[in-house]
Amino acid sequence: MRYFVRRIMFFLLTLWAAVTLNFIIPRLQPGDPAEAIVRQIAGQNKSIDPAQVAAVRAMLGVPGGNLFQQYLDYLNNLAHLNFGLSYSYFPYSVMHMIGQAMWWTIILVFTTQVIGFILGNILGAFAAWRRNSVFDSVVSLGLSFVGTLPFFWIAMVLLYVFAFKLQWLPIGGGYSEASTREFSLGYVADIFKHATLPALAILITAPIGWVMGMRNNMIQTLGEDYTRLAIAKGLRPWKIALLYSARNAILPNVTGFAIALGGIMGGVIFIEGIFNYPGLGKLLFQAVGNRDFPLMQALFLFTTVGVLVANLLADFMLGWLDPRVRKGATS
Amino acid sequence: MSKIMALLEVEHLDVTYATKHRPPLYAIRDVTFQLEQGEFVGLVGESGSGKSTLGNALLHLLQPPGVISGGTVRFDGKDITNMPESKLRHLRWRDFSTVFQSSMNSLNPVYRIEQQFSDVMEEKTDLSKEQIRERIAELLQMVKIDPSFMRFFPHELSGGMKQRVALALALALDPKFVLLDEPTTGLDVLVQKEIMSNLRELQREQGFAVILISHDLGTVLDVSDRILVMYAGELVEEQPAKTMLQHAIHPYTHGLLGSYADPASEQVEISYIPGRPPDLTRPPKACPYAPRCPEVIKVCREVKPALLPMWDGRAACHVAEMEWKASIGKGDQRVVDEGPELVDAAFSEAASHKSLNLEGADVLRLEHVCKTYERRQGFKKAQVQAVDDVSFTLRAGRVTGLVGQSGSGKSTIARLVTGIEKPSSGAIWFGDTRVDKLGGRAMHNYRSDVQYVFQDPFSALNPAHNIEYLLVRPLMNFKKLSGEEARKQAMEVLETVGLSPPEQFMAKNPHQLSGGQRQRVVVARALAPEPDIIIADEPISMLDVSIRAEILQLLDKLVRERRIAMLYITHDLLSARLLSDEILVLNQGKVVEQGPAKQIIMQPRDDYTRMLLNAIPRLDTQTNAQGGYVPTTETVKIHR
Amino acid sequence: MATTNRDNLQKADAARATVQDDLADVGSTNVGASPLTAVPGSASAQDDVRPLDAGAAAPIAAEDESIRDDVAAATTRARFRVPSWFNILWMNKKARVGLVIFTLFVLVAVFAPLLAPYDPHNSNFLPSQQPSSAHLLGTTQAGQDVFSQLIYGTRTSLLVGAVAGALATIIALVIGMTAGYMTGIVDDILSFLINLGLVVPALPLMVAVAAYSPVKGVAIIILVIGFTGWAWGARFKRAQVIQLRTRDYITSAQFAGDGPFRIIFKEIMPNMISLVVLSYIGAAMGAIGAEAGLEFLGLGDPNTVSWGTMLYWANNGGALLTGQWAWLVTPGLALAFLTMSLILINFGVDALSNPQLRDE
Repeated sequence: MRYFVRRIMFFLLTLWAAVTLNFIIPRLQPGDPAEAIVRQIAGQNKSIDPAQVAAVRAMLGVPGGNLFQQYLDYLNNLAHLNFGLSYSYFPYSVMHMIGQAMWWTIILVFTTQVIGFILGNILGAFAAWRRNSVFDSVVSLGLSFVGTLPFFWIAMVLLYVFAFKLQWLPIGGGYSEASTREFSLGYVADIFKHATLPALAILITAPIGWVMGMRNNMIQTLGEDYTRLAIAKGLRPWKIALLYSARNAILPNVTGFAIALGGIMGGVIFIEGIFNYPGLGKLLFQAVGNRDFPLMQALFLFTTVGVLVANLLADFMLGWLDPRVRKGATS
Repeated sequence: MSKIMALLEVEHLDVTYATKHRPPLYAIRDVTFQLEQGEFVGLVGESGSGKSTLGNALLHLLQPPGVISGGTVRFDGKDITNMPESKLRHLRWRDFSTVFQSSMNSLNPVYRIEQQFSDVMEEKTDLSKEQIRERIAELLQMVKIDPSFMRFFPHELSGGMKQRVALALALALDPKFVLLDEPTTGLDVLVQKEIMSNLRELQREQGFAVILISHDLGTVLDVSDRILVMYAGELVEEQPAKTMLQHAIHPYTHGLLGSYADPASEQVEISYIPGRPPDLTRPPKACPYAPRCPEVIKVCREVKPALLPMWDGRAACHVAEMEWKASIGKGDQRVVDEGPELVDAAFSEAASHKSLNLEGADVLRLEHVCKTYERRQGFKKAQVQAVDDVSFTLRAGRVTGLVGQSGSGKSTIARLVTGIEKPSSGAIWFGDTRVDKLGGRAMHNYRSDVQYVFQDPFSALNPAHNIEYLLVRPLMNFKKLSGEEARKQAMEVLETVGLSPPEQFMAKNPHQLSGGQRQRVVVARALAPEPDIIIADEPISMLDVSIRAEILQLLDKLVRERRIAMLYITHDLLSARLLSDEILVLNQGKVVEQGPAKQIIMQPRDDYTRMLLNAIPRLDTQTNAQGGYVPTTETVKIHR
Repeated sequence: MATTNRDNLQKADAARATVQDDLADVGSTNVGASPLTAVPGSASAQDDVRPLDAGAAAPIAAEDESIRDDVAAATTRARFRVPSWFNILWMNKKARVGLVIFTLFVLVAVFAPLLAPYDPHNSNFLPSQQPSSAHLLGTTQAGQDVFSQLIYGTRTSLLVGAVAGALATIIALVIGMTAGYMTGIVDDILSFLINLGLVVPALPLMVAVAAYSPVKGVAIIILVIGFTGWAWGARFKRAQVIQLRTRDYITSAQFAGDGPFRIIFKEIMPNMISLVVLSYIGAAMGAIGAEAGLEFLGLGDPNTVSWGTMLYWANNGGALLTGQWAWLVTPGLALAFLTMSLILINFGVDALSNPQLRDE
């Protein structure tokens, strides 16, 4: 019980730290953020109207007050989910943009990550079980190599081959402009068609980390005494592999899963950018390109929070799977 | 005429560890023996003897790169040497089972105790779930564990309990043969004794055959019908336990027996075997024991002795063979020796420097020291009283023995004396300074006066450094010597601990030395800053039995000659008697007995001390009844 | 007679050890966790410890080396003693291949001016050409030779990998090791810092920082990667140090009077060398990939010659539309091969520290 409470405390503490970090970083850059924004809107060469600057400042919730006051205002805004207005999508609010894009990314990322995790661990377990066999060499070396290919490169190659050359799948977007946005079968199928290439791009590289990790973990657990006892007991080999070896080997990976989610949020930027997929990644991609600070800030925060929540869930899951962790005992 | 088939027949077994990059290790060579139904056989050997390898080979649990490179193993008439795993699997656990060395890890950490049993029982029997649960309860009761523990996880049980569970598990399917590999090493001596007598009881009741592998001849003699002795991968002697005690045939067995003695007898003396076992990548062509054997003759170094029947058993020794032939030829009655023949390498209380009875000045005084730890369990705070009102004095040139089991508080006392921790109450005086009030610079200076000899020679020396570095550090830190001076003095210290010529050892790394040599380096390191106090925490318990006396002798000599005050911490009453002038017996943080060593051991007043004494294996000829120890109801109580 | 036997034994056997058998048979269950340092009543915080037990593995590993050294010294009167770790690496097939490939890349980077046919910045050629004999991989939309860019790009990747990787590893070492060795409040603070660093998603952070930065260029990229990528390594090092901290030889060093920093760097670290190398290589790999990614997003200086920038221009310059597969594919492959060589080397380093993985 203590374990779970500690995890929640850590979650809250880290959340606070991330939020504060998010506040600090943009204010580290030299110059006045409001002026920079106005310059963006007005165009580089035109002169700046001070009234406009003041207006933007007010909009951004950055009055000329002291830093601490700004901080409190910032926290207050956060609590109300008010991130201000995006100026590359002006006059839409940041929240609106994020709300639109959020689900696309979440579904894409979640499903591919889960599939990748399951697939990767199974492959890794097999590779460890059949260590040094042909299967193992193919899996560990082959997948390692694929893993070194930058996945945005993979994405581009996939796009090139399947969309441009073979024209089997659409070039980009989340859905065809022509289709009606209603919840019909046709619409769903369309979404799937558009999601295939991005998902594939992620799926090719997602399992790889798990494969190697699981393989090494399992090689370790296969050498443990409890596995030897299981062999001495004469249990069926698949039982030994699954219930003894793999069951213990997967534990470190569970914590790794949550951390990996953080990583994929980075990767998603590329994928969605290349495929023009209307998710958070593309939003960030464009925000970066447009120097849309409010949007960037909010996205950054969202990603962090999402990762923290995932971490918390993974910690809970580990507590459930590994009884030693619950008691705070070491193995 | 039917000959009862032996349960296990091993013939000319060879086991080799072969890797691609290193020369092969010939772990076991030409081993032949038999195991009858219902027999209890002990397999004894020290480091490098191959006993664990033999056990693994028999059960086909050899870890790569180990393979059976020759010979046959027959179980119940079936040749299992090369039986494929898919067929062998059906025999496993039903016909033969095993209990591993008492590592913390043989039970799957993520399943409850119940599941550890049910998985094999579901697969191999037709019992229903209900019946399985009943059987598990039955098995747990057999090993004296309350059945409610089946809902617990392994990490919630103590080491002793886990081993008991492992034993119950091994008996789950009523096997014909159980192999136990060092099942009680690392457990407290009382727990050891209980588990062993429990095992013997069960074995008699249920009639399964046992091979008990151990490095401890004493324990094995206590419980076995017959004993096999291995040395350097070869079987050197085999005899019924009773006659082995009276007349061991092979000189190595003599040497092993010499390391045991009854601590409560009037004169106590133990011997040691100088030297080390041979390197098994170059298997010896002649008798493997020849380099260390006190009875060696010319032929021993040229021809390998065969394992031949002699007297009541078998032995592989040219000298013994000649004796045997002589005694048959003359028709003489065998002369029964009065116990083991002692080699001239011996350490006795009488001959030790202890008998010089030096009067030493008080060096360290503990006065009514208490230490309480707070543990957090859930939201509650539990108090653990580790040390409760302990007082004693360390004197120059005298050894104070601190005897107790794990959890008795002896390690805590060591920490308090070294100043790493402060007592909750009471005082520790070092001359005029209060140790418990030291800090910073003063503590650093105090360190040069108190040194520590560790238990595990394999982890007390940093593998990344050579011996020179390890010895020079304390010299440079405390005695402020320059590099060159420190080097010279380091070499002197090496000579003192018997590592000669010192130049040869300076450049070596720890892994290039044997256990005994490493322990000497540990002692050297402790001696280097010329401390007033040395704390030796179980310094010999991890060494081979046959070389322990050597280290004891060294410690004895050094401490007396240099007038060092030593605190000797151990659970072993024999070495405590041999080395210490005064003994304190600790039980759960309290001193239950305190007094001169001989008196405490020969006339114990406290029940706990008596229990400890009883738990030591008795090498009288009267053993092999129900074992010398009858568990009382107190000790059967479930402890965690 | 007994004494001469003893002398002979010591001389003959001092060079060889049957330590492995000693270890196996005497039954050391807890490998030397010192009773002095094991604090009762507290659970040592072992999070996810990588299955590396340097304490147990190191003596065995080192023992193998000593046998090999002895054999080598005895059999070949070697004039040039190759360090034993190199031998282990070389003998591992995967590591050997990795070493070879990596050396090739280094050579290409060093001899780039000799190997590249043209100056990579030279934009006087006909733009958007397909591969030809004059331009082996074609030209960019700005009229630069792709092949020359590819060759010079090796320098950037190696530079960023080495420097950013080193930066991240050094930070990880200092923070991780101090956190592991010092208990109490120092550890709590540093652990929290490490966890924070882990949980904050690295790439978006890098993107954000790089985006905000007014200065562009490789130096910034190196700094950004170095200062954001240390958390993973720090966590492992901390866990490793915690495991090693309770070893008897650490207590022994304390008793010999060594101070904490001397202990951290001279007692603990030598036993962690292979872990440090492993993580340095991993950090370098990550840095190479991150650099490519950041350049691809346009956060670097678009004028630098690197594989990432090449992909950036390929994407923006419509390589997909003009069908210039060579321009598109080769930088990615180059990144892959370089990273792959590092992974292969890592297989060998892994085997150095974990003998179970050795016979592959």
